Amino acid sequence: MVSVMKQASGPTQAEFQEVIASRADRWYSVCLKITRNRDLAEDAVQDALLSAWNKRHQFDRSARLDTWIHRIAVNAALQLLRKSRPGIREPLETDVPDEVASLDDARAEQELDKELTMALQHLTEIERVCFVLKHLEQWRLKEIAEELNTSIGTIKQAIFRAVKKLRVSMANRRSA
Amino acid sequence: MINEETLTLYYYDDGLTENERRDVELALVRHPNLAAKYAELRHQFESWREPDEHRIPSHLVYRWQDSIKDAAMRESTDLQQSNAPRTSYSLAWGGAVSVALAIGIGIGVYFSTNTQVDPVVDNHIAGSPVVVDFAVPVSFTRGLQLHLQDSEREITGLTVDSSGDRTALVMQIIEKNRVFERSAKLNNSANLARLLRAFEPILMRLASDDLAPADAAALRSQLSFELNVMLTKMAQDTSNDSHST
Repeated sequence: MVSVMKQASGPTQAEFQEVIASRADRWYSVCLKITRNRDLAEDAVQDALLSAWNKRHQFDRSARLDTWIHRIAVNAALQLLRKSRPGIREPLETDVPDEVASLDDARAEQELDKELTMALQHLTEIERVCFVLKHLEQWRLKEIAEELNTSIGTIKQAIFRAVKKLRVSMANRRSA
Repeated sequence: MINEETLTLYYYDDGLTENERRDVELALVRHPNLAAKYAELRHQFESWREPDEHRIPSHLVYRWQDSIKDAAMRESTDLQQSNAPRTSYSLAWGGAVSVALAIGIGIGVYFSTNTQVDPVVDNHIAGSPVVVDFAVPVSFTRGLQLHLQDSEREITGLTVDSSGDRTALVMQIIEKNRVFERSAKLNNSANLARLLRAFEPILMRLASDDLAPADAAALRSQLSFELNVMLTKMAQDTSNDSHST
């Protein structure tokens, strides 16, 4: 009975359907920025939705459902990225740009043919992830460090390098 | 000396101590050049915040909406079963049989579709002979059988009490399942892809870390049963193929 009451207080199926129709673009977009892989981004949103549905009784009604799912989707994308490329935890030894390595990645870039997204491809994976989490998702440095299991100093350096590269890249694009 | 890194952290309002922030504020007031540099940096940062999300294919939205619909339907069925304890055994079997029937129909559609579209020479439309091979390669079918067998064995041997292990194992199965789903799509087997996708909401529920052991056990049995049905059907089909050749 208690569990039924708890579940009843969570978002309804109709609310989920509505928020998927109106906000899925945004979730997919951020997942694609993090993973740079269309399949992984699709899976991240799918995982996030089912996870949110299964835990909907934990949803705080004072928050926004789309924001809650957005955060779950970002976490799901990070988790999938880590699984597909375990090196993300120790990537700062090298500073090799994240190359367009596969057809999937190339398709993802075409889909997101926008200035910033195009510029993001010149960053290494750690730089890209840190920049997206800090700049676009507005996570605290401490949160990012915890999520990526590294130090705040490392995260700061990755963001500084990302910002520097992006400024150069954007300037080049504009002057071209 | 206030450098660009410090200005970046100042903009983010993160990573500077109170004293460091105060130093930056004072410097911005005292040095117009630095203030101009910061204004430019801030302007650029703001421009990077402009949303650039794009329209995604509508089939993706439908797929995600369907997954929630499926999960809700499954939950409602589970709830009905748990509210009727005396008949739960027969209801569980009823549910399992209906799911098996649905999957059986799906498999039937998939296999019958494939037998109907065996490699054909299409020289009517293209004008010149073009081999259109819609059939799923044997290696794929064999790989899928192994995946289903492994999944069935792993799920049967799953310890329902340790949710962490259960989650990790089920997430691995989901990943493998997705690989086969994508391969099925690439092989023009939309029905099979749909069928494999139908496993996902059940697997996701089983992976949920707040699932009660009794619910986990019920889901485990259900999945095991469904995987067995699919495997049996696939084995029968393979056997029929070898007899007919």
